[in-house]
Amino acid sequence: MKYAFFLGCVIPVKYPGFEKATREVMKVLDIELVDLPFSCCPAPTNMKLAHYDTWLALAARNLCLAEEAGLSILAMCNGCINTLKEANLILKEDLQRRNQVNLALEGSGHCFNGTIEVKHLLDVLYKEIGLERIAEKVQHPLDGIRIGCHYGCHLYRPPRLMYPDELSEAASYVPVSMDQILTVLGAQPTQYSRKFLCCGSALGTNIDAQAANEITREKLQHMKKHRIEAVSVACPSCFSQFDRGQMMLERKHHDGFNLPTLYISQLLGLAFGLDRPNLGLGDHRISLQPILERVGRSS
Amino acid sequence: MLKSIWELFNKEDLFECYQCARCTGSCPAAMVMKCYGPRETLLRCLNLGQEAVINDERVWYCTTCHVCEDRCPQEINISELLTAIFNLAAQRGNLPEKIKFGVDLIAKTGRSLIVNEKVLKDRQKLSLPPLDPLNIDEIEGILKKTGLNDAIELS
Ligand code: SF4
Ligand code: SF4
Repeated sequence: MKYAFFLGCVIPVKYPGFEKATREVMKVLDIELVDLPFSCCPAPTNMKLAHYDTWLALAARNLCLAEEAGLSILAMCNGCINTLKEANLILKEDLQRRNQVNLALEGSGHCFNGTIEVKHLLDVLYKEIGLERIAEKVQHPLDGIRIGCHYGCHLYRPPRLMYPDELSEAASYVPVSMDQILTVLGAQPTQYSRKFLCCGSALGTNIDAQAANEITREKLQHMKKHRIEAVSVACPSCFSQFDRGQMMLERKHHDGFNLPTLYISQLLGLAFGLDRPNLGLGDHRISLQPILERVGRSS
Repeated sequence: MLKSIWELFNKEDLFECYQCARCTGSCPAAMVMKCYGPRETLLRCLNLGQEAVINDERVWYCTTCHVCEDRCPQEINISELLTAIFNLAAQRGNLPEKIKFGVDLIAKTGRSLIVNEKVLKDRQKLSLPPLDPLNIDEIEGILKKTGLNDAIELS
């Protein structure tokens, strides 16, 4: 299997270790990743809010690059997924919009044809590679660690745009991929109230970090109540909200949550026994030590 | 001239709302911001009109989590209404500085974060490919056609 690797902006700039971990994990799973000159997706939390038409045209340019390479896109960030999946769907279905966008792209030599798919890393792992092949690669099982999955809203909402073919009767969609993957890695994914609610990230990055942190605090309290030992995320913005956010919350409330947060590729890498320097373990504000000791990867 | 919000969103759809507040009940922004909520926004659009809504800074408390739409029993596309509101607010100059900064950076570099020497060094240490500058002429050409600069005031 081969994908166009969509890095986005946040991971390659702020958390290159997550990118490294993803590349290494994909190597183990025989997935080839191809780098293309993609721009910002652009983000559903800035460009889309400021100017929809520009958002759609720049997203289309990114989709075109993958189309021209004949590859579907694999992305590591929920923001990228939200933008690229929505744009891809709209431009496939709405011919009037497609014509408008193709006019805007004319000078750039690109033309949207609607020939590829856009997939989040979680879905490639869960649906394309499959749990069995993942299980085969596990060398350091995650020792039953109670992990709270936070999928992140932009991965699956609105469901009519993110998973149009898999809607429930109530026209909704509830993801299970991360819980399932963590189970085969040997962890114990643990339910908690507000699991499917927002971490608060966009409010923090756009206007009010303190208010956003209070949203995160609510989730952290429920995680603690369910004796969760670590948080697993699939998006760099959620990561920052839980990791940096916790540090800021600690100064204000002294809750003592100390919940390590890990990006999904890091957990895969730890379980696969990949070299520690390749897993971006130094990018964390909340210490990973207790988790690393539990899985026998502390040195 | 600013478009009317009802050119961007079908007003009739809003009459399907029965003000149950299931949306606001799930809204993370409503939890931390008094008097904010999607039910309230929707009602204000109908009762007070678009000017009152798009000039209000509180619209930016939305985290764009879309849970309001997901849980609305009337299946109202609240996300689309909110996007229309944000776009109109932005054109009115009601746009948070941080969003403006990000948009500006995308327009100038194609990326929403700054790639500096430290970033390049960190990547090199991990033997990751460099983040080469993007073809900015191409991106500028697209933005000219979509009219980003005519619509909102950037720095
Ligand atoms: S959930 Fe739907 S019907 Fe209920 S108040 Fe919100 S928009 Fe109206
Ligand atoms: S999308 Fe905005 S208005 Fe809707 S629930 Fe989320 S924060 Fe509230």
